[in-house]
Amino acid sequence: MTTRHERIGALWTAALSPGAWVIALLAIGSGIAVLAMPVRDEPGLEVWIFAFEHGQMYEPVADEWTAETGTEVNVRVFGIPALARRVMGGFFSGIETADLIECERQMVGPMFAGPVESVGFTDLTERIEAEGLMGRINAPSFTPWMSRGRVFGLPHDVHPVLLGYRSDIVEAAGIDMSEIETWDDFQRVLRPLMADTDGDGRPDRYLLSFWENHLENLEVLLLQGGGSMFDMDGVCTLGSERNAEILAEVLSWCMGDDRFCTEINEWSNAGHMQTIEGYAIGYLMPDWMCGIWMRQMPQLEGTVKLMPLPAFEPGGRRTSVRGGSMMGIPKTTDQPDVAWELIRELYLSRDVARELYESNGIISPVTELWDDPMYDEPSAFFSGQAVGRAYIGEAPNVPPRPASPYYRSAQLRLQDAAVITGERARAAGMSTPEEILPLAREALADAQASIERQMARNVFIGEDE
Amino acid sequence: MHDRKTQRVFGVATHLALVPLAIVTLIPFVWLVLAAFKTPEDFSGSLFLPRDDSGAIDLTRLTWMNFVSLFRDVGLGRAMLNSIFLSSMTAVLATLCAAAGGYALARFRFFGRNAMTLLVLGAIIIPPPLLLAPSYQLLFNLHLLDTFTGLILPAIAPAFGIFLFRQATRQSVPESLIEAARIDGASEVGIFVSIVLPLVRPMIGAFMLLTFLMVWNNFIGPQVVLQTAERYPLSVAVAQMRGLYRQDYGLLMAGTLVSILPVAGLFLLLQREFIQGLTSGAVKG
Repeated sequence: MTTRHERIGALWTAALSPGAWVIALLAIGSGIAVLAMPVRDEPGLEVWIFAFEHGQMYEPVADEWTAETGTEVNVRVFGIPALARRVMGGFFSGIETADLIECERQMVGPMFAGPVESVGFTDLTERIEAEGLMGRINAPSFTPWMSRGRVFGLPHDVHPVLLGYRSDIVEAAGIDMSEIETWDDFQRVLRPLMADTDGDGRPDRYLLSFWENHLENLEVLLLQGGGSMFDMDGVCTLGSERNAEILAEVLSWCMGDDRFCTEINEWSNAGHMQTIEGYAIGYLMPDWMCGIWMRQMPQLEGTVKLMPLPAFEPGGRRTSVRGGSMMGIPKTTDQPDVAWELIRELYLSRDVARELYESNGIISPVTELWDDPMYDEPSAFFSGQAVGRAYIGEAPNVPPRPASPYYRSAQLRLQDAAVITGERARAAGMSTPEEILPLAREALADAQASIERQMARNVFIGEDE
Repeated sequence: MHDRKTQRVFGVATHLALVPLAIVTLIPFVWLVLAAFKTPEDFSGSLFLPRDDSGAIDLTRLTWMNFVSLFRDVGLGRAMLNSIFLSSMTAVLATLCAAAGGYALARFRFFGRNAMTLLVLGAIIIPPPLLLAPSYQLLFNLHLLDTFTGLILPAIAPAFGIFLFRQATRQSVPESLIEAARIDGASEVGIFVSIVLPLVRPMIGAFMLLTFLMVWNNFIGPQVVLQTAERYPLSVAVAQMRGLYRQDYGLLMAGTLVSILPVAGLFLLLQREFIQGLTSGAVKG
């Protein structure tokens, strides 16, 4: 005679297979463990950021600020896609987000899509002007965070781009880099380094790591040469003659038997190995890339140097810009003044600027901090050069990057135009800028038309003008 | 005799063809395992095994430091516990709810049953990312953002599971058996627990494992719903290790390895049960 409990036990044994039992026991065990480890509930100012490196920099400053003001600061780090989804979801539906949000450049475009008064971030223009911050922060650094003349965030960085090159290879060949002023000089002076040592008919080394499908570097060169995707009024300028000229020029670097560019992946193990082996001599290096190189390829210590980018024509711009982030105050916060105080503390702080540079090689956009001696310290990795000073030297010259809700789309259309033009030119056996120019014009005009069609559907843009 | 020989030759030929494919499939995994044991310097300097200055393979350069750092500095232990909790709890609750729902749709006669079945079928074809925004707003209104409940609750009645158990019930649970139990005075809950569940047992094992794997690998849901780092499951915690200015690939690969090993182990342990469940009813007797 079996008891009721035995019958129930037998039933469950029959109902659940060993696998199901394992999972059920895991649920019970982990449930008890999770309950036994409660999560802290933290009141205070909520700050959402996208880079844990920034969190590490802000932590000591925020702790000090908390000690002074008594307001707790909770910094939460999200991946860029997660942060973008939350922020956009919050802005569109009116759901509360955080008291402060740090955004990367790629994220902010869609946030400026509606009427200017409906942008989810608080308009900081008056605060910035009242405190004279326009004069204290590198002027071009504001442009990505402006929409229709209003500023919605305080810039975190400048990110000028210089040319990083393998000084060991160049100097061993007796080449003097000071002879280089333009991209034409660059190819002429360094051309002897493109030797075919294994006799397979192809060079074993190229002069520049760049390829037409590299979206960010394409934009870097476009901006350097005076091209743009939008003007300061938000009008799409992808199809401009200057853009076509630059595109034709940089595509010619990747064409024909005389091409001097090659593609090296910046983020992969294989790409790092090619860089270490000296497969390319020159690299387009924003300041943040220096920190990455130092950590990922310590073998290169003492073999790399920096110099201003060669210009597209004599006397032309010797730098460009890549990447960037800002911090803004969502309109849903109930303590905007406290949030503003914290932004000022984090972004104008000398301690944070120091940490930003020492840990990641990034220079501060706050011009009054540029006299800090740390920027003059020689870097062993960069063959004793004062890296910070080199970047600061070009920081005021970084090109402006007007923000647009269509920025990302324009960037992708630019890439399409470059790839289409490149393929057509190759098929037709073209390799000089003059030959490629008509094709570039046509592809960029198509790209501009595509963006304009998208923009024409946005009724709010016309409304504000 | 001739047939056995042909069979053997065919078997050898099949294996000869499959071994290179298996190697190609395993190469990325081998790369991942080796990368997890390398220093950042060796990660950039060698593709597989680390080499010394002369270029010879140097196994002494392999290190445990990435794993030590993972649990000591990054705190991946808590994330692993969260993953186990979320996956197992969701698997248990989803299986229970889906089995009950499937049984109801298969064996109960009520107004709107066909419409309900169609609704469940319709829900299967809605891509989950489409529900992300409305789910987020709903969870916000219910004050369930940044809670485990906010992740478990929407997952406990999956349309796919309900439909799966409806089919399993129709195939494995004879209506006459349920009628007999009712005549004997069994309650509806009693019938479900004592008759239906044991009869759909292969499906329970398979569906539990399937749900466990799906929740374990779920990245977007926890990434959007959870805010507090202490609540992150492994999928999010490992992704958070990717820096903006620095990538410690060795640490990242160690984190990836740690996040796939438990679930791979569980799957290998229960694979027979899993296949049995999915193929039960494939051949109708």
